[in-house]
Parts: sequence; C-alpha cells; structure tokens
Amino acid sequence: MPETPADNWREVTQMSESIVDTVSHQTGETLLDVQDLKTYYEGGGLFGGDPVKAVDGVNFEIARGETFGLVGESGCGKTTLGRTLIQLETATSGTVSFDGTDITELSGGDLKQWRRNAQMVFQDPESSLNDRMTVGEIIREPLDVHEQGTARERREKVRTLLDEVGLMPEHYYRYPHQFSGGQRQRIGIARALALEPEFVVLDEPVSALDVSVQAQILNLLEELQEEFGLTYLFIAHDLSVVRHICDRVGVMYLGNLMEVGPTEQLFQNPENPYTRALLSAIPEPDPTAQADRITLPGSPPSPRDPPEGCPFATRCPVRIRPEDIDASDEVWDRIREFRDVIRERSRAEQSIGERLKERLGFETALADGDEIVDEEFSDVDLPPDVREHVEQAVTYLSDGDPDAARAYLKEAFGSRCDTETPQYYDVDDRRTSFCHRHATDHDAPGEELRRRGYDTHDG
Amino acid sequence: MMETELTDDIDQPLRDRLKAHPRPALLWAAGLCVLLLLEGPTYLDGLLGAIGAGLALLPGAPGAEAFASASAFFSELPHLLSRELVPNRGYYDGSAWQGTFLGLEPKYAWLIRFLLVYAYVAALLGWLWYGYVLFRRHYRAANWTPTDDVIDRLRSHYWGLFGLAVVVFFITMAAFAPVVGPTTAEENIEGPYSHDMKYYNEDTETVETITIGEANLGSASRGSGDSNVGIWSYDDFGRFHPVGTLVSGKDLFTFLAFGARVSLFIGLGSMAIAGFIATTLALVTAYYKGVTDLIVVLTSDSVQAMPALLLVILATVVFRNHWIAELYSGAMLFILLFALIRWPGLWRAVRGPALQVGEQEWVDAAKSYGQRPTVIMRKHMAPYILGYLLVYASLTLGGVIISVSALSFLGLGITAPTPEWGRAINIGQQYIASQSWHISLIPGILITLVVTGFNAFSDGIRDAIDPQSEGAEGGATGAAAGGGGG
Repeated sequence: MPETPADNWREVTQMSESIVDTVSHQTGETLLDVQDLKTYYEGGGLFGGDPVKAVDGVNFEIARGETFGLVGESGCGKTTLGRTLIQLETATSGTVSFDGTDITELSGGDLKQWRRNAQMVFQDPESSLNDRMTVGEIIREPLDVHEQGTARERREKVRTLLDEVGLMPEHYYRYPHQFSGGQRQRIGIARALALEPEFVVLDEPVSALDVSVQAQILNLLEELQEEFGLTYLFIAHDLSVVRHICDRVGVMYLGNLMEVGPTEQLFQNPENPYTRALLSAIPEPDPTAQADRITLPGSPPSPRDPPEGCPFATRCPVRIRPEDIDASDEVWDRIREFRDVIRERSRAEQSIGERLKERLGFETALADGDEIVDEEFSDVDLPPDVREHVEQAVTYLSDGDPDAARAYLKEAFGSRCDTETPQYYDVDDRRTSFCHRHATDHDAPGEELRRRGYDTHDG
Repeated sequence: MMETELTDDIDQPLRDRLKAHPRPALLWAAGLCVLLLLEGPTYLDGLLGAIGAGLALLPGAPGAEAFASASAFFSELPHLLSRELVPNRGYYDGSAWQGTFLGLEPKYAWLIRFLLVYAYVAALLGWLWYGYVLFRRHYRAANWTPTDDVIDRLRSHYWGLFGLAVVVFFITMAAFAPVVGPTTAEENIEGPYSHDMKYYNEDTETVETITIGEANLGSASRGSGDSNVGIWSYDDFGRFHPVGTLVSGKDLFTFLAFGARVSLFIGLGSMAIAGFIATTLALVTAYYKGVTDLIVVLTSDSVQAMPALLLVILATVVFRNHWIAELYSGAMLFILLFALIRWPGLWRAVRGPALQVGEQEWVDAAKSYGQRPTVIMRKHMAPYILGYLLVYASLTLGGVIISVSALSFLGLGITAPTPEWGRAINIGQQYIASQSWHISLIPGILITLVVTGFNAFSDGIRDAIDPQSEGAEGGATGAAAGGGGG
C-alpha cells in the first residue's frame, strides 16, 4: 500500500497514545519559574504609538527534565515567549528565574556565561543554518564562542554530536545545501546541544518538515532528552505533535496563558473555553463521527490594543452576560458582531483629510452608523432596551466619536469579562485555567457551553 | 578527489593536509616563485616606493628616505619586463637600427615588449587559477562549496568573461605603464627638454642629437598639412607611435598608459573607501535597525541631495592650494570626494540584502549562544552582501572614471602634466574632423570600452551569485546544486 501523508499522520497520532505514559522523567524540581512576564515590542514609528503586547503577563513553571508544550494560533506570542526565555528578546517586565537566577537581570559577561544553559532549535531549517559555512563550522561555533577545549577537542566533539543526531562524522566538511530539510534540522539540533545546555527551546522544530520526517525528528528529540536529561519548551501549533511529546501544556491566546496543565488531562478534558475551541479544531480521523466544532467568530484582536478584561472576551462562546438584559443567543451574537465593528472603527485611524472633511461637515465614509445597524440587526427582533443602547451608540458614531460609542457599548453590554482580568483558577490536579467562569458564582464553562448548544468532550 | 575515509585525518587542518601530500603544492609554489622572481625587482620597487611615499606624508618623514633608496636600488636590478631587456628606442644609422632589441625596427621591438607584458600577466593569472584548481583537487577538505557553483556559473558567462578580460587588460596597462609605452612619461611628458635623443637626419645623412622637447615639436599632430603623426606610424625622428601623437607631439600611447594609472587609482581608491563605508553602515543598520538606521538614511539622503558635479568643482577650487590637492596631482582629493559622494548609492544597494540576511534565523542562533555582534556581522552577514557590493562597486567605478575624465575635460581634474584621458579628449576636440582625429577618438573609445568592461564584469558576477536574476536557467542550476546532497 502506498504510504500517504494521511497514513503517516495516523501513525503519529497513534504513536502518541502509546508513548504518552512513558515520557515522565521529570524530577519535580523547578528549573524555570516565569512570573508575570511581559514582552512588548515598541511601536514601529518614530513617535512611539501603542506597543505590541506580544507576551502580556504569563506565569508558569517548568520542572527539570520535563517537556512543556506551548500551543496557540499564529501570532499569539508563543514564539516571542520562547525567545524571551532564552534572552533573544528583552522582557519588558516580570521575572524569569532559571535555577534561582533571574535571567532578565543578566547582562554582559554573566549573560554570555548563562547562555550556555539555554539553547534554541529554530523553526525553519532553511534559514537557521548559515549556507556559507560547513556543517562542522556551524556546530563548532558555539564551542568556539565559549572557548571550550582545544581546537582538536572541539572538532572531536562536533563529530560526536554529528553521530548523536544521526548524521555521519564525515559530513563535517559538507555544506548545508547538500542536506535535506530533516537533516538540516538535525544539524540545528546538534548545534543547540553543542554547549550541553540544560534547557532547550524547540520553536516549531518539525512544522517545516514532511510528516514522515517529523516523526523521526520527534523521536530523536525524545532520545536526546533521555540521554542528556534535557528540559524542553516545545512550541507548536500542531496539537497532535504536542500531545505526542509534551508532559505539560500551556495554551496561549493573545499574549496570555489561558490554561496550563498535564497534557492528557488537558486534552481529554479541557476546561478553559479557549482550549475547548482549540481542541475542537483537531480533525476527527473518523469520517462518520459527528461533532459540532466550536467555531470562533471574528479574528483575534490586535495585540496593540488587547481587550481590557479577559483577552478572549471578544470571541468567547461562553462570555458572561449582564443580568439586566434579557436577549436570545442570536441577538447576543449580533451584539458581539456590532461591537466588533465599532471596535475596529475606533481603531481605524482617520487621515487628516477625513478629519478636515468631518470638521467642515461633509459626510465621511466612516460615519454610516445606520448602515451598520441595518446590516447587523435587520433580520432579528431586538428587545427595546437593546435597541435603545444600539441607537445611542450609533448617535455617538454619527457624531464622529467611535471611542465614545465603544465605551458606551461596553458599559451597556459588558460584564466582568470585559472589565476584570481573570485570575488563574486551580481546576484540578496541577491544572490552572484563566477564566471568570471558574469562580463559584458562575456556571462552569462546560456547563454553559452545553446550554448554549455546543457539543463538549466531557460528560 | 581526496579520500574522505572515516579516519581522524578528515578534519586535520590545511597545514597537515599539505604535509601529507606536498608534491603538487611544492611544484606549484616553485612555479609561482619563478614567475614572481622574473619580475621581483618591479614588485619590490613598487612596494617599497609606495611605503616610502606613504611615510613621506607623515610629519618628519621617518625612514622615507631609506625606503626610497631601497626602492631605487631594486629599480636598477634587471628583470624580465624592462625597457633595458627589450629596448625599442634607437636610431637608424643609415644602414641598420642601433640600440633596439636585436636590431629590429622600433615598431617590432615595442610590439614584442608589449606582447611580453600581456603574456606574462596571462601566465601569472593562469598559474594562480591552476593553484586554485590544485587546492580544490588535493587540499580542500570539502568536496563542494557554494563558491564552486558561483565560479562555474561565471566561467560560462561569456559577457562577464569579456568584461573580465577588458578589466584585466586595463589593469595591466595601468600597472605596467612604464613598460608598455614606447617611451617613458619622465622623458616624453614631464621633462622633455632635460633628455636627449639621437636620430638619423636624412638631409645630412648623419646621426644627430636633439632634445626630446625639440623632437616633439616636429612630431606634433595638429590636423593640417603634414603636421600629423597618426596611428601606427613613425615620426621624422624614427620614433614609433602606436596610436599617434598629441598636439604637443608627445606620444599618445604613453599618455594613455599613465592615464589609465590615474583613472584606476581614483576609481579603485574611491570605491574601496566608499565600499568600506557602505558595508559597515549596511551591517550596522541591519543589525541594530531603529534609530541607527534612521540616522544613516537621513545622512545618505542629505549627501545624495547635493549636486555632485558642483560639489566636486567647488571642492577642487577650495582645496586648490591645500596639501591634499598636491598628492598625486590631485588624485587623492578625487578619491576622497568620490568616496564621499558615492557611498550612499552603494549603501542603498546593499542595504536590502543586509536587512534580508539580518532577519535570518542563523543570526538569532548566533546571538543565542552569545556570539559578539561584530563577529556576527562579519561572519554571518557580510559574506551575503559582498557579492552585491562588488556588482555595484564595479558599476559605480565606471561612473567615477567618466566623472574624472569629464572634470579633466573641463580643465578641473588632474593637473597637467600628469596624464588623464579626459584631458586628451579635451585637447584633441578641435581636431576631431581633421586627420588628427586620433587624439580625441582613441581615449574616447578606451573610456567607453573600460566602462563597458566593468559593467559586463559586474553583470557576470551578479548572475553568478544570484542565478534567479537570470531566469529559468538559474533555477535549474540551483536545483542541481541542491540535489547533490548526501
């Protein structure tokens, strides 16, 4: 039977079932402790502007010897988090304590010395190796930088490393051009291991590879972890791979960790609404299975202007609704869409020309609030109080003040999800979730999901 | 190919590999020694002379004289490409040529020396290429490197090779200017009245002595009547002029050879400085980005906003009596001026590639194990932009040569009597329609040829380092190169 990617795929997923229980070699001792870490990128322009809040206050720990997975959609900040942990990016605030040392405070010679402890395997094997250097030079460079041993010992070490990652020692004088993607990734792994680090950040190490090669590289990574007692931070957007290799997983959304917990618990029984939505996106191998996916509406908000309360509030299927408004699910959907549009509008910067036109009393392209209302609400029955609020917002919009409209809608339809940052609730053994619904005075996310008509995994 | 068995030998340094298998290297080195020794005195003379001239610029001129005298000593030693070995100047005594090489006509004696120079250069370059081939075959540890592909592509790029040939021709002419000319600059151009020559006077049928200056008066090309010495002809004094004479009766070929020196000196000098500035700034801005980048963008824009020609004219006037304008008849001033004017162009050309390579993950990888920024820029970024720099520098170099000629044409460039092509064009301009057309036309053609040559060469390099720019053909090569993997 010809091997198709799909077959390989199944193999990987099936493998995950069998291996999951064997990958627990952590000692329980904390290696990395991240406290309220924030990494902001300053605005690109000369005059500042809002920074991009790529990582916006995350807390977690990684135990020595474990593999901690970090998942989330593109642009959620997981790569930035990984880069901050090995000090490729400077943290804006918070601490990263590595074996008791706060590495965000390190600089100069101390930082250089510390760098030996933490290395990174990059996502793109095409771009992570300098094509003008031989494989030997590439793997040797970290050793040269830290002046380990004599020249001969370094070459010896490189050959050992080549052997360890499944390449030939005579590949020393080849160039990266002469290798396939999987082999190039092995070279990248050898380079990361050259300094014998304790902690390795794996930034989507297999996502650029063929599925058949992915399994080989994942197995290699597991063997190396066993052999050298490595601690991994495994960044991925591919959930099956994460389930296969990770001991614990953190789910990231818009710079925040939404849920952190042991892999199997989290995959079997997700708690946080975002984790549920993410997991429901995994394709079901069984074509007859009928499961309603939780399709998230809209797109993630800009990390320059994240929502004030819970980062997920703008898209959450189980957002807490204010008690004083009684409306159907459909109406709430429309309200959410309407608020999305208003939020976009308040973010859209008006050109000087448009401002001038507005001042002079001309109609501008942005002021058509009534049209938006028509589009959103023409085919649903709005309860009178909802209609009143919407009309008030449109008035603000027509006055050319979308910020006021946005604030007004937040006041009228918002709940604690819009105003209050959730805290981390312990939901079960070693698992925390970042959602107001875990508070005792609200229904749990799963319960609320079922009530709003979604299928859920848990019983 | 060298055996790449799995032994401890495969990663030994080059020195050990040479020791293990010394024969080809020794033979090659011996050959190189012979080639260099043939011309050794010239090289030492030039080197020591340059150091001496450099020292003379320092306050007190420490040791300048020692170098000058050492240089003079070596210039006396016999060597292959010398006027003494193959003399072309002599006189006819009524029956035979006296003082020329083997008693040949001056025409043939000069031609032999001229061809000998080019044969020597060809042999030297060929030997160096052979050395590279030997290195690849016997001593290089890697069977294949990315540079091999670049060289292979350049070897089959005929337009680029044509450019290379023109550039080599031009550089040889400049480097061996004192040897390739039928006469010397000192005697013919700078001090014609301080030197004597013998010639056969046909009226009296005797050999007479005359100063070169007086002879030049009789060999002038002024367009009218019999006052013209055209290309490939003798003048009345038995002197051979391969491309005729100037209005002043001086030999045009000698003038052109020394003019090539000045042009090349200014072109290469200004491009070296501008290229260095451009590369450094491109690397620094691509690595640090942000404010650094902005400052350099603003600076380069300001420089480019200045009208270049007016600036140069202004500077030549302002610095007229300054010591810097004295160096090499003003050539040094032009080097600095053109470096200042041209670096923004070069910087812009390599900024894109530099920004691109700065985004590569291998740069991040190098940061992650603590490599120093300067090393990252040099080792992980610079190799990727130097090719582009070479392309744009050789394109710009043509422009610099034209600019210098244009300034000389306007009477502002290199001060007389130091030869400069543009001045020859200027001098001969009014005779262009007469029989003395060669005065303007030959230098004009040469400028065109050299600039075209540099452009063709840069085309060749660009296609060699960046096969995508050539289209489908390059893609096939890339795939072949990528497919050679293990």
